[in-house]
Amino acid sequence: MYMTIQRRQFLKAGMVVAGGAAAGMLTRSHAATDESTKSSGRPAGEATLALTAEGDLVLASAPSGASSHASDEARRGVPGKKWVMVIDLAACDGCGKCSAACSKSHFVPADREYLRIFKMQDSADTAPYWLPRPCFHCDNPPCARVCPVGATFKRDDGIVLIDNERCIGCRFCMAACPFTARSFNWSRPDNSPAAEAKGYSPEWGYPRRVGTAEKCDFCADMAREGKLPHCSGTCPMGAIYFGDENEDAVTNSKGDTVQLSKLLRDRAGFRYMEDLGTQPRVHYLPPADRRYPAPGERGANTLNASKGATQR
Amino acid sequence: MSAMPWPVDPPALRKLGESHEAVVERDLLATLDPLGRRGRVWIAGLASVVGCALVAWIYQLVHGLRVTDMGNVVSWGTYMTNFVFFIGISHAGTLISAILRVTDAGWRRPITRMAEAITCIALLVGASMVVIDMGRPDRALNLLLHGRFQSPILWDLVSVTTYLTGSFFYLYVAMIPDMPLLAKHAREHGRSPRLVRMYEILSLGYRESPEHRRLLARALGAMAVIIIPVAISVHTVVSWVFGMTLRPGWHSTIFGPYFVIGAIFSGTAALITAMVIFRKAYHLEAYLRPEHFHKLSKILLALSLLYAYFTLSEYLTTWYGGTEIDVRLLALLAGNGTVGAVFWLWATFGLFVPIGLLLFPSKRSMGSIMTASILINIGMWVKRYLIIVPTLETPFIPAQNAGITPHYFPSLIECTITAGAFAGFVLLYILFSRIFPILSIWETAEELEEVEHATVRAPVKMPGRAMPAALPLLLVAVGLSVLSPWTTARAQAPAAPASTTHIDLKRTTEDKEEMLVATVTANGRPVAGAVVVFSVLRKFGTMALGEDQTLSDGTAAVKYPHGLPGDSHGEQTFSIEVRSPPALAVPPVQVILGGAEPVRITPVEVPRALWSTRVPLALVGTIMALLLCVWSTYGFVVSQLVAMYRLPKEG
Ligand code: SF4
Ligand code: SF4
Repeated sequence: MYMTIQRRQFLKAGMVVAGGAAAGMLTRSHAATDESTKSSGRPAGEATLALTAEGDLVLASAPSGASSHASDEARRGVPGKKWVMVIDLAACDGCGKCSAACSKSHFVPADREYLRIFKMQDSADTAPYWLPRPCFHCDNPPCARVCPVGATFKRDDGIVLIDNERCIGCRFCMAACPFTARSFNWSRPDNSPAAEAKGYSPEWGYPRRVGTAEKCDFCADMAREGKLPHCSGTCPMGAIYFGDENEDAVTNSKGDTVQLSKLLRDRAGFRYMEDLGTQPRVHYLPPADRRYPAPGERGANTLNASKGATQR
Repeated sequence: MSAMPWPVDPPALRKLGESHEAVVERDLLATLDPLGRRGRVWIAGLASVVGCALVAWIYQLVHGLRVTDMGNVVSWGTYMTNFVFFIGISHAGTLISAILRVTDAGWRRPITRMAEAITCIALLVGASMVVIDMGRPDRALNLLLHGRFQSPILWDLVSVTTYLTGSFFYLYVAMIPDMPLLAKHAREHGRSPRLVRMYEILSLGYRESPEHRRLLARALGAMAVIIIPVAISVHTVVSWVFGMTLRPGWHSTIFGPYFVIGAIFSGTAALITAMVIFRKAYHLEAYLRPEHFHKLSKILLALSLLYAYFTLSEYLTTWYGGTEIDVRLLALLAGNGTVGAVFWLWATFGLFVPIGLLLFPSKRSMGSIMTASILINIGMWVKRYLIIVPTLETPFIPAQNAGITPHYFPSLIECTITAGAFAGFVLLYILFSRIFPILSIWETAEELEEVEHATVRAPVKMPGRAMPAALPLLLVAVGLSVLSPWTTARAQAPAAPASTTHIDLKRTTEDKEEMLVATVTANGRPVAGAVVVFSVLRKFGTMALGEDQTLSDGTAAVKYPHGLPGDSHGEQTFSIEVRSPPALAVPPVQVILGGAEPVRITPVEVPRALWSTRVPLALVGTIMALLLCVWSTYGFVVSQLVAMYRLPKEG
């Protein structure tokens, strides 16, 4: 449950109650936001005050498992936000730590990856590069178009999620996604106790349900709390920026917060396969002036040597 | 194969003094006689294959779809192939029999029921394949609870249901005149009273009277006409499950007609195969005469040429255009690998050889027609497989680039279930022919009578409702920011260092340039030479704006970050830090200033878009209008049957 109190009202109340404390609260709003991120570990129902970057004071109760209105909230998304990702191909050295962090935090089984790193070379004459591919959270998502039951849905904040408690397992979305971003629970999942304890929400997609589709979720729960997604926060090269398009800013693991529009303009950002018209929410910066040995060169990563045995 | 010479004249059927009807009745009712040993062995064999398939399905339900060979890259396989194949051969019935009925081709009569029965049974088997392919068949009800009309699967659900209902009606209506005969025959042969009762109920009190004939003709005529567009829509929609995606080899504008032609093609071949088998098993040589095979084989030839034409036009344009992804698909589909070998085997034995067998009238023997039909049946299953699997093996970003080789080959479970589907199809067909004569008695008699006499949407609108809503807000915000002087905020640093450093921040215009000016005071006096770092707060971090040294009046300034949105009220939280001299250094102080561009407010109302939860009205309107047309015709047919039932009974 979220209750938004206009900051002005809050300020008034604050001045009456304890002016100094209110000022302190304001000046440390960032800390307060961080504080709220810990709320998921608290007992269900305990509320935290959080000042969002937008300046609204938010009364947030800690997520309490898979309650029905948590699911409503998961379907709507964070009001006023438009999450966006920028991946700097010039900085990515294909180390795969993003994918590993993602898989670890989402308890992803070994037969799939939400964030997959491809070794690309567009033509014989052009330079090879690494292409990390999460779900693009397309604004015109073919997967959501074809889902017969609305189990795949697009939220107001731009995230495309899957409700594994509604999905009928037809796999039409997997055929429809041009980027093969989706995976399927082919066998009965082996959910860890930690996953079971957290309770299900489309925002994190576990504990898994057999016979349903899944994919990268942009760490919707983390974004809500003002934390970078696992991939973005882990990348040792700071290659994955994440942010709010409305705020026109993206941040990477090195703590660089840059203006999104300027970054895309200055570095000639592009979206993968724009011609398909899916309007991805993930932008790429071209692999110009690389800071690492190219794939295939000496000293380059060989992360993806062969997954054929475990993944298909 | 029958030893019947080819071609032969229509046989003289009658013993002297017998009426046509008597002969036809005697011969066709004889097909209902108890099965011999061979028949029973067949039924037992087929039933055990179906049994194995059921066990395999239960195993799959327990262990999940892991027991198949499908994976995250090739996510559809044999089950989808079976689905498309069976829906395809279901077109035998309706289309062949309806078209022939509508065009009043007299020779159709002995074969219509066979064709219609293929339709109903193939549809049942095909629909069950979808359920088997589903990861969560237990949630099938979600299709009704949460169904989205934007999804081709919903179109499939609706059209297949409509088609199934329609073809059962069609099959039944055409059987009504036989029912009284069947009841009589069952009674005379001492069959179970329940069977007799069933025939009687199904007969709706039909008897040979002009009034009954008239009502039946009207019902049958309406059914035959409406079932044609329904059948075409069904296979079009099946093709759109593939065609509506963006995948190479699927996203093709000719997919609808390509699939429909393929469906009639394989359906006709299935019909001929069934005719050959029943002709031999039930000794119907006198009724399923060479001329029937001859005529059907001409239709089959026409369809195989059409299918070859569509195939050529599909792959030639793809190949000639030669986009990167198409080239990659074709290299897999028709290249040097296993898939390529299968493709060319199909083209040879599933298309060219049958065409060769059917092309020359002089060579068109029973044997060659039969061979062609069986080759076409196998070939069309393979072709469906070749449409589904290679495309999935060719994603836009090659899986090989991530070290993954997509591969798919049906697993044992998939093969067992597929075998069960085919066995189930044949079994249901045989069982049907045990209860109802597989040739229409009344229509066949009618034909012989005749022979004797002869010898004597709307574009999808995405309403921009957000804009009008956001516009006044924007205007108000801009107005406010113009009216009010630049807000000046004053914030106190936390008590940390003992010194009372104050930072004032304001937005001013200097030399026509908007600046962000911080004034640093310590104990009430301006501080000169302090390094001030300016940044602005964003959701995931602070964005640096620059730094400046304070002048003698304690002010430091950077350019105001134009174009960077504030919150919904146009307010920005700036973070100001004094970095040096160390004596004055304080942790970042956060100051809120108004007057920035307010953040764009995202539309709360979900648009009516293909991807959204709200269906575009034009789409749902079209679907509903089409359904209304079809179902009201069904209603008309039912009304005719009711009228028939209400006619005064005999005597
Ligand atoms: S990348 Fe694929 S799964 Fe993700 S939103 Fe786009 S179409 Fe859907
Ligand atoms: S597999 Fe699930 S999420 Fe995907 S289209 Fe089918 S029902 Fe929707």
